Amino acid sequence: MTESKQKDHGVLYIGMDLGTSRTSISASNGVRETIFSVVGYPKDVVSQKLLKKDVLYGKEAIDKRLSLKVYKPLEKGVLKYTGDAAMDGEAKANLKAAQDLIGEAIRHARPRKDELVYCVIGAPAEASVKNRAAIVEAARAHVDSVMLCSEPFSVAYGLDWLEDVLVIDIGAGTTDLCRMHGTMPEETDQVMYDVAGDAVDAELARLVAESCPGAQFTVQMIKEIKERYGFVGDSAERAVVELPVAGKPTTFDLTQQIGKACSILIDPILKGITKLVATFDPEFQQKLKNRVLLAGGGSMVKGLDSAVEKAMRERLGGGKVVRIEEPIYGGANGALKIAHDMPADYWEQLK
Amino acid sequence: MGGFKESLAAAVRQMAFRTSLDSLKKKGVQQVSVLGIDRIVALVEAAVHRSLRSHLVGIEREAVADATKEEFLRLLRSNEDLQRQKSEIERLKERAEEEIDGLRRELATRHQELQLRLEQGAQAVADRYEGENAAIAQRVGEVLRSLAGAGAPTVADAEARVVELVLDVVSGERRSAEEARAALRDREVENLQRRIRKLNDALGQTEQRLQEVAAMKSVDDGISSIYREVQGLRPGEVQAQKKKELMAEIFKANLELQRKLEG
Repeated sequence: MTESKQKDHGVLYIGMDLGTSRTSISASNGVRETIFSVVGYPKDVVSQKLLKKDVLYGKEAIDKRLSLKVYKPLEKGVLKYTGDAAMDGEAKANLKAAQDLIGEAIRHARPRKDELVYCVIGAPAEASVKNRAAIVEAARAHVDSVMLCSEPFSVAYGLDWLEDVLVIDIGAGTTDLCRMHGTMPEETDQVMYDVAGDAVDAELARLVAESCPGAQFTVQMIKEIKERYGFVGDSAERAVVELPVAGKPTTFDLTQQIGKACSILIDPILKGITKLVATFDPEFQQKLKNRVLLAGGGSMVKGLDSAVEKAMRERLGGGKVVRIEEPIYGGANGALKIAHDMPADYWEQLK
Repeated sequence: MGGFKESLAAAVRQMAFRTSLDSLKKKGVQQVSVLGIDRIVALVEAAVHRSLRSHLVGIEREAVADATKEEFLRLLRSNEDLQRQKSEIERLKERAEEEIDGLRRELATRHQELQLRLEQGAQAVADRYEGENAAIAQRVGEVLRSLAGAGAPTVADAEARVVELVLDVVSGERRSAEEARAALRDREVENLQRRIRKLNDALGQTEQRLQEVAAMKSVDDGISSIYREVQGLRPGEVQAQKKKELMAEIFKANLELQRKLEG
């Protein structure tokens, strides 16, 4: 690639956070978008004619879900795809949905046709090789070159916190903890728990069903309530919501249930912190405890940083937790920064 | 005034009906009174003038008389136009009836031709079968005669000759049947090819429409990146060396993944 040709084309960098619940992108043309990681295909010819589309994504897919076969291609932070030869039709459909989702996320970045597009995707730390390969294959169809990196790493890199930092990425499917010590994190630097946003939703649904007899709701409604009112510790406002009871909108105060459901996040986080701190170089343990970074959609639960700090004081004798400013875009911003800093010849070699 | 009298005379002639003396006799008429056209016209004119004189005076009478004459002539012309239109319609009707008759005659001729063809076809088939039957009978006769001429034929010889004969006849029929089947297949193939051509045409038109619609839609050119060239770490970047090492590690892991994919 000559210098002049590069200048003719322009270079668009895209950072992507491929999440169980949401997929976010940040691009070097200023575009920042988030879509729900949901893909829907019309159930039959009738619905296809009605919807006038072959594939629907995100909120549109959720809104039209009754006419669609809906896929959430990621589960517990990884693709519902093993790469096994005996993979059934459903797994293949999920793989296609994941590929379509990645394509749609890249289209959201609105790349110009005459620009080179280089993309870094924050992949789940636990993703298998075949899983990662599927992500790369899906992205390659839309970009000139693509790289994967660990999600927690991209969050820390985006904030220039490269040494002695512990990143807690609370997603929908998993809560990932990763300690950074100036090098790429290894397997021993990472722990993962499947107590995350979806688990909070399930717990809240259980508590609402128990305490609000007759109340009708869906997982989506519960998720929206949590995202609006989610908190741990002391609540700043009452969570008064309307749920239908036998078709009639009825008011319920769910403050207590929401607080209780969200608090299930604290215990696994503390377990993870304890494990990663306890196995770290003793000279740097204190520094690590004081540089805990809370990221991901789950970090938007009000009071979570204070609650984790409080628990650290009780169990580890202290610590300092910082919530990143943009939990939804933290991973994508970090991936974008990695894409920017990556030398040209690395991109060329991966084309 | 002269023109008016002529027109009046023409109108009387046109409105009169013609009949022959024989037909009047048949109706029992022995004598007829004859009144000339000039006399009728003069009577009509005199009647009009007398009527006008009794009701009007001077210039007024003359004006009304002129207007009446003019109106009479207009009505006469209108009547002539209607007569012309009527004649034209009648002429067209006659021509249409002639055409229908012609078509009926042609249809009858075609029916006859078809019937003849069908009969000829049936006769040709019957003749062909008869000819074939005769040919087969002749060949069987020849075989039997040749066998008889050769002395006492063995059963095996007779069987061989009969089988040879039958196979010869059957193979001829098979050829004919095969040709008929091939012709049928060709027709089917031709029909299918024609349908494919039509579908191709329809597809082409649809694609063209699609392209037109796509061209009509506003095309999103995307948003330009702020970068015109690949960036990389800036000189003087915070923790530049460490970041460089991390970039190298990320690249290495991805290169390995790519090799696994290609391998």
